[in-house]
Amino acid sequence: MFLTPEIITLSILNLLFVVFATIAFINSLKIVLKYDANATSSYQYALEKKSYLSATIIKFIFYVKIPLFIFFVYTLDDLSNILPGAMCAAGVVSATSYGTPLLFLKILNLYVFAFWIVLNDEDMKYEDQPYLKQKFLLFCVAYFLLIAEIIVESFMFNGMDINSVVDCCGAIFSTTSATYLAEILSLSPKILLSIFYGVFILLVLFYFLKNRYIYAVLNIVFVLIALITLIAFFGTYIYEQPTHHCPFCLLQRDYNYIGYFLYIILFVGTFFGFVIGIIDFQAKELRKRFNISLLYNTIYVALVTYYPIAYYLKNGVWL
Amino acid sequence: MIKLENVSKIYGKNIKALQDISLKFAEGELIILKGVSGSGKSTILSLIAGLSKPTFGEVIVDGKKISKLPDHFAASYRRDNIGIVFQKYNLIPELSVQENVLLPLFPLNLPREDMRQKAKKVLEMFSIEHKSSLMVRNLSGGEQQRVAISRANINDPKIILADEPTANLDEKLSREFIEILRELKSKNRTIVVATHDPLFFELDFVDKIVNIEHGKLL
Amino acid sequence: MNKINFYLLEYAYSYIVRHKNKNIFIVTVFTLLVALLSTLFFITSSLQYELKERISNQSDIVIQNYKAGMPAAIDTALLDKLLEIEGITAGKLEVKGKYYFSQKKSTFYLLGVDAFEMQDDPLIVKLLDQYDLSDSEMLVSKNVKDVMNQAYYKEYFNFIKPDGSLQKVTIKAAFDVGNRVELKNLIIMSKDTLRKIFGYSANKGSDIALSVANKNELDFISSKIRLLLPNAKVTSKDDLLLEYDRLFDYDSGVFLSLFVIALFTFFIIIYDKANGLSSEEKREIGILKAIGWCVEDVLHAKFYEASLLSFFAFTLGIAIAFVYVFVFKAPLLGAIFTHENMLDIQNFQLNVHIELSYILLIFLLSVPVYIAATLIPSWRVATLDADEVMR
Repeated sequence: MFLTPEIITLSILNLLFVVFATIAFINSLKIVLKYDANATSSYQYALEKKSYLSATIIKFIFYVKIPLFIFFVYTLDDLSNILPGAMCAAGVVSATSYGTPLLFLKILNLYVFAFWIVLNDEDMKYEDQPYLKQKFLLFCVAYFLLIAEIIVESFMFNGMDINSVVDCCGAIFSTTSATYLAEILSLSPKILLSIFYGVFILLVLFYFLKNRYIYAVLNIVFVLIALITLIAFFGTYIYEQPTHHCPFCLLQRDYNYIGYFLYIILFVGTFFGFVIGIIDFQAKELRKRFNISLLYNTIYVALVTYYPIAYYLKNGVWL
Repeated sequence: MIKLENVSKIYGKNIKALQDISLKFAEGELIILKGVSGSGKSTILSLIAGLSKPTFGEVIVDGKKISKLPDHFAASYRRDNIGIVFQKYNLIPELSVQENVLLPLFPLNLPREDMRQKAKKVLEMFSIEHKSSLMVRNLSGGEQQRVAISRANINDPKIILADEPTANLDEKLSREFIEILRELKSKNRTIVVATHDPLFFELDFVDKIVNIEHGKLL
Repeated sequence: MNKINFYLLEYAYSYIVRHKNKNIFIVTVFTLLVALLSTLFFITSSLQYELKERISNQSDIVIQNYKAGMPAAIDTALLDKLLEIEGITAGKLEVKGKYYFSQKKSTFYLLGVDAFEMQDDPLIVKLLDQYDLSDSEMLVSKNVKDVMNQAYYKEYFNFIKPDGSLQKVTIKAAFDVGNRVELKNLIIMSKDTLRKIFGYSANKGSDIALSVANKNELDFISSKIRLLLPNAKVTSKDDLLLEYDRLFDYDSGVFLSLFVIALFTFFIIIYDKANGLSSEEKREIGILKAIGWCVEDVLHAKFYEASLLSFFAFTLGIAIAFVYVFVFKAPLLGAIFTHENMLDIQNFQLNVHIELSYILLIFLLSVPVYIAATLIPSWRVATLDADEVMR
């Protein structure tokens, strides 16, 4: 175990999260079990007050988590300078068995907390607060996810050994090794791209049809195929190297930090697309969210498409 | 317009501020709640304003049950329908007249011009517009009273509530205040005044006097 | 996320100004914390940067012989063996070391040079172009010349050899090190003369320096050398970079404990201060709620209040640290860092070198902690029962 200032910062903020999330959790539990909208005892009024505390804590955690996540990714990238063999965050993530689940958990939690906030805003619009118990029940689940994330993060940082060599992304994302990843990556780009653009066209179609359920499902598919094609195809054009498949090197300065933009745009677009499938928004809100989702998804598609086209125009050939 | 149905308010375990009160006020009426301090009249005002919730019973204003509203709905109900005049004005001395008057609307984030117009209109109504940029701290007692009343009227509320409004005023200012109430009544506002100032009991435009003692109607 | 509500912002600002004393205290504590943290990071990152810059003038791989766990003279015969390793383009036997001049309590850094040898350091190259050194002459830095002058050595200097006898060397010229403050105490002379001073026999030196063609292979070649010479200490540029990255030992329990204690104290102070509300403050919140603000509106205003205070204090803290470290060159505190690591703060320029990631780091350590400390107090305030105001 070794400590850099970055790891210390992450740990301190995680501790803060644990303390406050636990307070919110206890309150949420009380509300889920005991809240009665029709009762008028002072206990019920106290519970109503506590619901504000929990909501404020959850919002606080979410809004700090966003820059913290970007900082976390930056830390991973920075650690690649210290861990032998690692050239970018990919090596750091694969250094322990916790890396990939942690990344997955972190992104999942961002989605879950964002969803909670959207649900809360919607709930507050109605006098009868239709989602009151649901949202706090959701938080009870989110609480355990958050604790899991923090525990896994401690294990990961604890388990890093600066003396053992780790793989670099060239090895992890190669198409020649016998992993599932390699199998996906070696699929013909034609197939992958057809799925990618096909799903996007369906997205546009169902946007105009305003069918929110199918649109939401399509968004889930879209985020998956987008990530796959980014690694398998588009990334290689950003790096201008046919064998460079790493999704983390995009985050480095050498490529103008384009990775941050791509991922943020992709996540925002698909988040809003997903959320409209679950919550029944009023017409104006629904339209707004549909628009944001399609806009961001379109920007993402435009950005990733730019790279291979620009390469072709510059060089006359494909990779 | 305003209905209290079998309302009781109990603080803690034993403090019975109100016991099984039922009241009905019609629109445009001026009602005096008469009773000594601690009799429960302030509690009635607070219930009508939606600032507190009854332990038993129902408060219905303009057909709407306000007792079970969640906090932010109660607050916007209050902002849109109720104007409150306090015993001690409760203005913020370091802010200007205009800012004090617009304070209830701050959270709405309306365009500046709209805010300015609303402030102007209400300050003109109570003849204090010429002092709108002065700090409240620098105004006389009578002027502060008019600012407080302006603030209560910023949103054209249907109901005005006043809690011991003349307790800190001399007779001249008290009479001025009563004239303002007369004017408001002529605009069809429903006005409920909690007071034990005898000046109110002889007025010709009072519609009802409600006597309260120890949380019960007499 | 909604638009910024400027009315609430103005209200928050006026609220802060109306409660000056409490808020000045809070801003002071916060600024102090940020200034302390920033000073720490500015000093360490600047020092690290400077150290790494210096490495660029050194050889790719340096090999020292160790006997009984301590550095010992190395034989030139090893050089031939090493030059056989693939990837190594050039190598030389170096003679250099420190000389402690007890009379003036100064340590000189002696470097031996040969007439036709390739030098890595541009300053040395320039000096050797300028001056021809015979065996009995040396070049000294201006600082060394001053020290020697004070001991009445004006034209020459007598080095004391290990056997007690003296070695007289004439001072040919004194040179200016410019901004290379780490070379402040440098003396350059011929290798043979230096050997005599250090008591090295003719074919021995202090270490062997190697150049490598492909810088990416430094680690690989180093490991080859370690296999070849198990008793030697092999240090590559990459090893040095790594060492410097971890130079300021955040691992040590002391540092971490101080850190955590400081933050914890900060949290407690803010929490306590935020919790203490005068009856007037409670009244004001009661009024706000009576005139139509809901709990969320009050929380919103409180959030603006916390943001204004923390952003202001944060900026102020960074500015103070910046001036302290880079303008005044960190008197007092800077020495703590360098002495811990046996460096001499006087030898560093502390040029402005700030990484944005450190600013983000300091921000993440201070502002969220502050806002967290105000969360519960703000909530308590916002959920006060307003019906007391009616009295």
